[in-house]
Amino acid sequence: METYKVSPFLDPGSLTTPDTLSIVHLSRDNIQPVYLQDTTGAVNGYAEGAVINTRFGSFPHSTLINKPWGSQIRASIVDTGSRGRKRKLEAIAADIAAEDTPDDGTGEDASSAGPTKDVKTAASGFIHILPPTPEVWTTSLPHRTQVVYTPDYSYILHRIRARPGMHIIEAGAGSGSFTHASARAVYNGYPTNGGEKKGKVWSFEFNEDRYKKMQEEIKSHLLEGLVQITHRDVYNDGFLVDGESPEADCVFLDLPAPWRALPHLSRRRPTPSQLASAGLEPLNGEESEWKSPLRSDRSVYICTFSPCIEQVTKTIDTMRRLGWMEIEMVEVAHRRINVMRERIGYNMPTERGANQSAGNVEEAVARLKEVERRFKEFNKGRPGATDANMDEDEEMLDEGDLVNGNASRVREAEGLEDTPSTKPWMVGRLIHRTEAEIKTHTSYLVFAILPQEWSEEQEAAAYETWPCGKESKVIGSLNKEARKQEKREMLEGKKRKKGPGGNKADGNHDSDQKNI
Amino acid sequence: MHSLVEPNAWIALKLPSGNTRILQIIPNTTVSLGKYGSFPSNLIIHRPYHLTYELQDKKPPETFNRLRIVPAAELYSDILSSSDSSNSPDEATPAPDGDDADIPLPTGVEYTLVDPESGAVVATTDRAELNAEARQTLTMEEIEELKKDATDAGKDLIAKLMLSHTAIDQKTEYSLAKYKLLKTRKYIRRFSVLPLDVAQLDYWLLEDKDPAKILDMREEMVALLGCWANVHFGGEDHCDSESPNEEGIESVPNPKQTPGRWLVVDDTGGLLVAAMAERMGILYPVKSKHLLEGPQRPRSPKARRREPPVQPIMTTTTDSHVPTHPAHQPIVAEDNPDVEPESQENDLSKPRSPQASRKPLGEAKQRSNDLQIPYAHANTLTVIHPNSQPNLSFLRYYDFDITNPTHTPTHPLTRHLMTLSWLQLLEPQLDSTYSSEAPNATPEELRSWKANRRGTYHRKRRRWARTHHVIDSARGGGFSGLVVSSTMDPISVMRHCVPLLAGGAPIAIYSQAIEPLTALADCYSIARRGAWVASPPGELAGCSLEEQEHWAGNDEFPLNPALVLGASIQTSRVRRWQVLPGRTHPLMTSKGGAEGYVFTGWRVKPAEGKVEARGKKRSKKRKVEEGQTQGQGEGGK
Ligand SMILES: C[S@@+](CC[C@H](N)C(=O)[O-])C[C@H]1O[C@@H](n2cnc3c(N)ncnc32)[C@H](O)[C@@H]1O
Repeated sequence: METYKVSPFLDPGSLTTPDTLSIVHLSRDNIQPVYLQDTTGAVNGYAEGAVINTRFGSFPHSTLINKPWGSQIRASIVDTGSRGRKRKLEAIAADIAAEDTPDDGTGEDASSAGPTKDVKTAASGFIHILPPTPEVWTTSLPHRTQVVYTPDYSYILHRIRARPGMHIIEAGAGSGSFTHASARAVYNGYPTNGGEKKGKVWSFEFNEDRYKKMQEEIKSHLLEGLVQITHRDVYNDGFLVDGESPEADCVFLDLPAPWRALPHLSRRRPTPSQLASAGLEPLNGEESEWKSPLRSDRSVYICTFSPCIEQVTKTIDTMRRLGWMEIEMVEVAHRRINVMRERIGYNMPTERGANQSAGNVEEAVARLKEVERRFKEFNKGRPGATDANMDEDEEMLDEGDLVNGNASRVREAEGLEDTPSTKPWMVGRLIHRTEAEIKTHTSYLVFAILPQEWSEEQEAAAYETWPCGKESKVIGSLNKEARKQEKREMLEGKKRKKGPGGNKADGNHDSDQKNI
Repeated sequence: MHSLVEPNAWIALKLPSGNTRILQIIPNTTVSLGKYGSFPSNLIIHRPYHLTYELQDKKPPETFNRLRIVPAAELYSDILSSSDSSNSPDEATPAPDGDDADIPLPTGVEYTLVDPESGAVVATTDRAELNAEARQTLTMEEIEELKKDATDAGKDLIAKLMLSHTAIDQKTEYSLAKYKLLKTRKYIRRFSVLPLDVAQLDYWLLEDKDPAKILDMREEMVALLGCWANVHFGGEDHCDSESPNEEGIESVPNPKQTPGRWLVVDDTGGLLVAAMAERMGILYPVKSKHLLEGPQRPRSPKARRREPPVQPIMTTTTDSHVPTHPAHQPIVAEDNPDVEPESQENDLSKPRSPQASRKPLGEAKQRSNDLQIPYAHANTLTVIHPNSQPNLSFLRYYDFDITNPTHTPTHPLTRHLMTLSWLQLLEPQLDSTYSSEAPNATPEELRSWKANRRGTYHRKRRRWARTHHVIDSARGGGFSGLVVSSTMDPISVMRHCVPLLAGGAPIAIYSQAIEPLTALADCYSIARRGAWVASPPGELAGCSLEEQEHWAGNDEFPLNPALVLGASIQTSRVRRWQVLPGRTHPLMTSKGGAEGYVFTGWRVKPAEGKVEARGKKRSKKRKVEEGQTQGQGEGGK
């Protein structure tokens, strides 16, 4: 039996280590995955070994390894001059040219055998290095398809009860965004010799390239044993793996036609008439014995994810025909919110972002009065004071300065000064607004539950174990009469002083009992 | 977990109105559904979840109502037939879609039919109304009669009531379907049994109970918090600290592995803790294997007569697939008759976990080793609370009583949940237990004491050890993440919690209103971070990074802005839809209330000394962004 190294997604350790995935955080919208390489000798013409180049400076991997996670890393002075001109251009073209070679190790040119050059810290520039999580991975992964983002997958995993120890079926894997999030959700340790069944993601993808890419990713992210990807067209060939059932507790379908996959997710073979009524073809392997990919002794939770309402209609219609319960459709509206300081007023600092117009009516009136006063004053000293024609050469306060918000000039003229105590970052009213662009629609989420089968024999056995007719108390919500009766009895009981226990029904927690 | 309904399990009953009720399924009781009727609890014990039942009429001489499982084909027959033949109008809609249709009934009126759009009453069983309505053909007596024998679960009553109201004939087909929808919900005696997991508990608290108690925290928010704080199964202790360690010294955990330890501030009565514990696999006591085998288990005839003498036996394993771990088996033998408390029938005053009446596990053993730490290293939650005791009362739905954890020695939370007050965290020397010496008596003294006094002594020693461990490990920091859902100012929470987080640890804070979070985000604005680098507060001159991390803040810098990266705020809300053939649309109404927001960020470790930013100068066009606190043009401010 294999022993597994724990994935950095599940336990990154306390320090960055070579050859594992790390996340370089440049800015909120610029997050890059990097495999740190512990190289001795030059790589790609860099004497410092593998180097990450960003517009915030250059960062040799050696400066990023064995650092506490979350460390702020200073840029280094890296000699780019000795490298080939072509490479340099490439590096510039990409905003960040993570010059780390792919994890397969090819393309590494450790030609010069000497030890890695000592690295000098640059005067400015820095990045932060973070451990990988499904959330950062989702924003930084190489997109091969549309992916499911955090607002959707967090809610989906919550609703389909993907919890430690569960087995989840996922199709199609696509770019693996959901795969990573679900692996974390069901993780409760790697498989062990003891044969204990551990949480697992059973992923299916029918596009060969994506399947291969996923397989590599699972390996390099150390998710082997937790995620098993199968190259499969699930519409036609279902969800058994090597003829065995994944025994799934929950299912997530991100496919163009989820209703075509649903018949395979049944407890027993759907009847031809069921399929025909849903407009579906008969299933393959009609002769062989039916094996369900679902766990038999528990309700199974499903979510399908479709952008169009027609897909939803078809999916739900098929679900109803196949016996799914608690069918519900929702969409998730998510917004990121920006926080800023709104600076409006004549006495705002003349910074970018400040709006030098009147902050309130009083300010406007005061300013108008001031203009009026100066205007009069100015004209007073002149012959023909009432003459509105002014000498154009005359240096005076132009009303345009006020209107156009040339406040510094006004302030100078007025002798106003910023109160020195208020720091620029504390000036202005704190406001928030929705980010500039929002995703108004990702997909419709259809949820449903398939209860376990319950035979008459099982029911009869349960009834024998739990016979009825000797009920002693009423629990749950009581109607008015019963409640009155209870109260009477309770009062009587109190009078008699400590009868054997209260008469108040246990477990009654309906809405009129506010004692939680 | 949640395979079959266990005796004494907490469950949710979903009623035809769409409302849910929470109750504990006590064997040999009658479950009342109010106006819908009642049935014996034994009829749903050891039965699957999510089945739809219909109350049957009593079949004399039986004194109770039996249940019938309504097959899906029957539940959906009307919808499916209407989608098959498009021109026949829809009949009943079985799946209540959560639309808030349960209009409270005025007194004296048993049933009312209401147009959900206009709120107008279409038909009612109230006598006066009926009499006034000349065209009404159904008499009160008739209705009473119908209700009494309620054959076919009230369907007849609906049909007659419908027909009796001739006005309905004049309605369009569309609105007719609407009326039917409502009526169906009111009359059909159907319900389903749902497991009371965190999602269901949250739903019930929000929709039916008291959203204020949980700060209006919707499922979307709970889900976002858990993901952004990266809360998941955090590993197992490598050195088994459960095995008695004679010196009482804890072995050091494997340094290469960082145990998953999350810091929590929870003002939602324990809902947040329950949600995080669920994600970590430490919320549910796992039932012993033989129970999962269900009712087919062979039994002695004696056991068959009354309720089974088997109580759920809990283990601390997290996985529903995992067979019982022998090390966690309670010492109480399965067949011990004492396990079935005789008091069951007369002491029903409080919900009780099955072993509530048991003695703490292995008491004799613990005596010799009071100072052993009863907590796990890995996969733990540490809750900081504002009062001297934590309020985590919702955990009782998961058989865990925070005020008496020793009564559930095998519940996973007993070893994986630690709590301490803010005072204990920040000024532990003021805590009387912490500041005192461990009680210590010589063996002779001990022997001379009465059993009572000895008991107290051991209890005190154990508490001393627990308190020390919880406080010391919390103050030691290195937490894997921080999750907050609190009414306290998040800035004050962050001031004290951020230094306790490991580098790279995620932070997720829920707030009902956005203002506390915008104030927090403003502490990490670009301008403020820039100013911090350019001219840090004078009082910090010469301070080490460590000292700077614990700096108390001032007006200009309420928090050290260099310790958190990626501060951002988001919100999310689901919109529910009705999906019916030809009538698919979003629900007309849903719950309002607090919008709810989540703040996220990462704990980072600033480099020593002054770190200048670099990057292209921004063009004037980016003016607006410049003013934002979240542009996060990190290196290139
Ligand atoms: C939108 S992508 C899934 C994205 C993924 N959920 C994520 O978060 O990255 C849909 C994927 O389903 C795959 N697919 C489509 N039909 C399939 C089928 N019949 N069987 C298996 N995979 C299929 C496609 O190749 C595609 O990669």
